[in-house]
Amino acid sequence: MKNGLTFFPKGVHFFRVSMQLLKAYWQETLAYRGMVIIWGIHSIMVPFVLMFVWLAVERGSNSPYQDGDYILYYLAMPLVMNFIDCWTVFTFPEELREGYFNRQLLKPLHPIWGHVFEHIAAKAFQLLCLVPIVFSISWFMGDYLPDIDFSFRKIALLFFALLFAVVLRFVMNTTLAMTGFWIEHVETLNLVFNQAIWALLGGMVTPIETLPPIFRIVTDVLPYRYTLSFPIEILRGKISNGEIIIGFVVMVCWLFLFSLAGRALWRAGLRIYTAYGG
Amino acid sequence: METSSSIVTRNLCRTFEVRRKSEGFLASLKGIFWPRSNFVRAVSGLDMEIQTGELVGFLGPNGAGKTTTLKMLSGLIFPTSGSISVLGFQPFQRDYEYLGRISLVMGQKQNLWWDLPPIETLAIHREIYNISQAEFRARLDELVEMLEIVDCLDIQARKLSLGQRMRCELAVALLHRPQILFLDEPTIGLDILMQKRVRAFLLNYHERFRPTILLTSHYMEDVIALVQRVIVINRGLKIYDGTLNELSKAARLEKILTVTFQSIPEGFSPLAFGKLIFQEGPRFQVKIPREKAAETASNLYSTGKVLDLTLEEAPIEEVLGELFAS
Repeated sequence: MKNGLTFFPKGVHFFRVSMQLLKAYWQETLAYRGMVIIWGIHSIMVPFVLMFVWLAVERGSNSPYQDGDYILYYLAMPLVMNFIDCWTVFTFPEELREGYFNRQLLKPLHPIWGHVFEHIAAKAFQLLCLVPIVFSISWFMGDYLPDIDFSFRKIALLFFALLFAVVLRFVMNTTLAMTGFWIEHVETLNLVFNQAIWALLGGMVTPIETLPPIFRIVTDVLPYRYTLSFPIEILRGKISNGEIIIGFVVMVCWLFLFSLAGRALWRAGLRIYTAYGG
Repeated sequence: METSSSIVTRNLCRTFEVRRKSEGFLASLKGIFWPRSNFVRAVSGLDMEIQTGELVGFLGPNGAGKTTTLKMLSGLIFPTSGSISVLGFQPFQRDYEYLGRISLVMGQKQNLWWDLPPIETLAIHREIYNISQAEFRARLDELVEMLEIVDCLDIQARKLSLGQRMRCELAVALLHRPQILFLDEPTIGLDILMQKRVRAFLLNYHERFRPTILLTSHYMEDVIALVQRVIVINRGLKIYDGTLNELSKAARLEKILTVTFQSIPEGFSPLAFGKLIFQEGPRFQVKIPREKAAETASNLYSTGKVLDLTLEEAPIEEVLGELFAS
């Protein structure tokens, strides 16, 4: 209860609060539907460009990825990116700067919940736009795609890998966002620690399996791979059971570490928060 | 009637670190390696006690520490030292039970969701504060009637006028019927008519539900209309705590005399009575010592040439100005 750290409101009305907030954020998302759709289209463009780049570059080389693998990888990527996309690193520092954080802090509900429901609502809407596009392209390129088995085991693994990826990415970004208590523009830190490194070590620029072995050691230890490449690797079905178990263990470790760091930053941040602005 | 203290502060202090930066390119460069900063005491040893159900005006010039105090009392910021107890809670611990019993109104973009109509914000608050549907309906009807916002509820908040938005903000802030209400400049930016409506509402609301209200305002009309007790602070220090009337008596050393002559008496000099404020033909306005007011008026009437004469109290802004100066 101390320092506003209680995560769940007392009693059983949390479900009703969640539904009401989801409804409100859904309406807000619809109010900015144009912007949300453009973001969705943007998240398709980059993987598609990269797909065609690698199809051109790797043709005939000894890469473990063949044409079909690249197509599958970069078709799955926009959907995974839609799930894991997180913008608290932009919105939270802005709330601090503009004073909107004050109103969140004065309510008997942890301010992070607002961000959680905002993400769920926006992603649900984006997914509605993305799924038809991605599936239409998949249908056109069906001849090039490798056969994928959709066993119950794989679907369950994929579900949990995605769920962990979403939570890990949210916690990572939100922890970085907490530095907004000390730094006015966290976006620049995000560019360095999240976007560029994440694009390379997360498997956006090129699939992790195509990186030189020395890079693999780094990608296996750092959290980036698990927030993007890992679910697609499970979908592709060429990952061993041992690697899957290690992947989940690494994710849980990072989740724990970032949660601890986030909690510490939150507590320390509130102590120095000056609540400027209306 | 037995009363108890809702708000108690003892030796409350809050210090802020303020970064300094000189003008120019070299100074900017130097500031990167050798940053300069100093500590500013926004609130300095504030002792305050407010009884349950009181409506208190919290006054002071810009930068006096009023808003900082409200932010500490509501739990937005930590005090540097000293103690606070509001309804028996330490606000900075942000106990949800505490947050469910207070409200802070600060500006017109505090509670309303910008892209949604106010009715949606009210519905969200209903869930967050766990208000039953029947209670919500009853309170909403009451607030809608008192604030006259029936036509605003289904319009996107961003499209409402300033006055409509402020009244909707108040409805949202009061929906959970807070026991403590912190109002920071509730009428700022509103036109005179709207200011009057907000004041009338606050008086009516306080009369009906008796919440403890701490109000800051630069509009003295707000203070005169709403509060009996005032706490005045300047540079973080409390310099007065008492009734509005006593404050006027304590600081108001002069009265304002306005006299209009049929024809100016021979040898009349306003400077003989006090400080001249203005002169327009046969009309003079003079600030005179309070104790000489009656005698001066009598002397002027005895000339037989006075067309009109009024004696007024100095505006309360000036009273506070004198208080701060002393």
